[in-house]
Amino acid sequence: MPEIDHNKLDEVVSELRRPTPLDASFDRRVMRAIRAVAMRPLRLISPLMPMPRWRVWSAFAAVAAGMLAVSVIPAFRSNPAQPVQFVLVAPEASTVQVVGDFNGWNARHAAFAAENRGGGVWTVTAPIPPGHHRYAFLVDDSLWVPDPTAPRVADEDFGHPNSALVVESAR
Amino acid sequence: MDTRADALIVQQVLAGDVDAFAVLVARYRESCARYAMHMLGNREDADEALQDAFVRAYRALGRCEDPDRFGAWLFRILVNRCRTAGARRARRAQTFLSDEGALLSASEPHPAEQWAWREEIERALSALPAEQREAFLLKYVEGLGYDEMAELTGVGVSALKMRVMRACDRLRVLLKEVRSA
Amino acid sequence: MRWFLGVVALSAMAVAASAQEAWRARLDSELDAATRVAVLAMVDSARVARLPAMALVNKALEGAGKRASGAQIVAAVQSLGGELRASRTALGHASRPDEITAGAHALHAGVDANALGKLRRVSVGRELTTPLTVLTDLVARGVPPAAASDAVITLTQAGLRDAGFSKFQQAVRLDIDHGADPASATRIRARGAVIGRGGAPRG
Repeated sequence: MPEIDHNKLDEVVSELRRPTPLDASFDRRVMRAIRAVAMRPLRLISPLMPMPRWRVWSAFAAVAAGMLAVSVIPAFRSNPAQPVQFVLVAPEASTVQVVGDFNGWNARHAAFAAENRGGGVWTVTAPIPPGHHRYAFLVDDSLWVPDPTAPRVADEDFGHPNSALVVESAR
Repeated sequence: MDTRADALIVQQVLAGDVDAFAVLVARYRESCARYAMHMLGNREDADEALQDAFVRAYRALGRCEDPDRFGAWLFRILVNRCRTAGARRARRAQTFLSDEGALLSASEPHPAEQWAWREEIERALSALPAEQREAFLLKYVEGLGYDEMAELTGVGVSALKMRVMRACDRLRVLLKEVRSA
Repeated sequence: MRWFLGVVALSAMAVAASAQEAWRARLDSELDAATRVAVLAMVDSARVARLPAMALVNKALEGAGKRASGAQIVAAVQSLGGELRASRTALGHASRPDEITAGAHALHAGVDANALGKLRRVSVGRELTTPLTVLTDLVARGVPPAAASDAVITLTQAGLRDAGFSKFQQAVRLDIDHGADPASATRIRARGAVIGRGGAPRG
């Protein structure tokens, strides 16, 4: 195993070891994301800790419950919407909005504005048509956050990850 | 400069002092930024991976088994984030260009030839397969031993040695003409 | 009875037309003229090719919602259009729109088109939207695409249903959040899920 060739690559390494300066706003942005998304005290977010079911329901898990809740379906509609509960724990947030394929990525859609139910648990239940949907939470009108417990979609074309939601038809 | 030990800060954050985490961010951001920048090749992706790594570290802080080695634990998270982001970047088939913004804001003044040389290095690095680039950076830029690298990446020592050797060979070829010109 | 079916059909058409008007209005209000023209051209092409064109509309609206530039939006829509085509080719032309969309996301994540084809072959007639969604999630969390594909194909072949896939995804996510190597977590949890189905563990 040859060691690095000091005639050439040591210059490369020395160049690569130079510090990489960051945007001056980096610390502020990181801390803002942490304050907005994380729950305090920290132990409450540990998946190892037992939590009431309602706290940990992601939209993905809530679909099954939503399917059971549907009882009246207009006969002519082949794709009746199912109620889906979205939950985000964000103690420092002022507003939380669910934005996704199902509402045309409209951050002003009143039916998808989550409410703080106490303890920083934001939630909204909204009717979602059967099918595959992408969505994210918009915190304080500026911070895009994927659903921490839902499947990810690797489509960060616009710099922010999304979550996936599959709603099945009522049977 | 805050001189509190990492373990003490971790303890304070876990006790509910979220703002104490800012000390850890300030302490490790530059070394992590260097790795992310070289791995991902552009500032936007590096910034995003780094931010994501810090947020993940915060969320999982209660599971950091050795808070005295918070930096090493954070670095492991970052390496994983860079792998994911790197795969995504490759899929987008971005043309690699050195990040002029980052270069221009570098702390030390660079003469024109130094800019060109740095650009060539970044370009050569970006031409390596991701696993070779990762192994090279961990070994020579971050100065890790092979055992540490194996633990960090989940790849065997002999495979890592092979990757580093191939990365060195390839870099020499890519940079040969530039240096001799 | 015939008149009743006619009313039903007209109602359904009215709902569809109304939905189309809604997204057209959103595109009109959210995109600048040049971007809108480019996006609508791609949406029309997708519709002619019988691809799930709404996925492209959603991608454009997502870009607008996230304040992306027109060029970024057009590039993202164009890229997704190609992935939808590739997804349908891999999954088969009889695939449902949601499967094609979920397959496109898997391809975007780095999954090989051959793996999508294999997934279809081992599960003819099974709705693949959820397995494909889980596959994309695994790759997005750092599982190498080949390892993620192997796991999802194995689980589908073993007859795991959507609820089982959901549990599998959650288990792997928690393992990774705890610091597990993504590939190892996937392999181990997949073995567990197969054993849970009464199948023989692999590897």
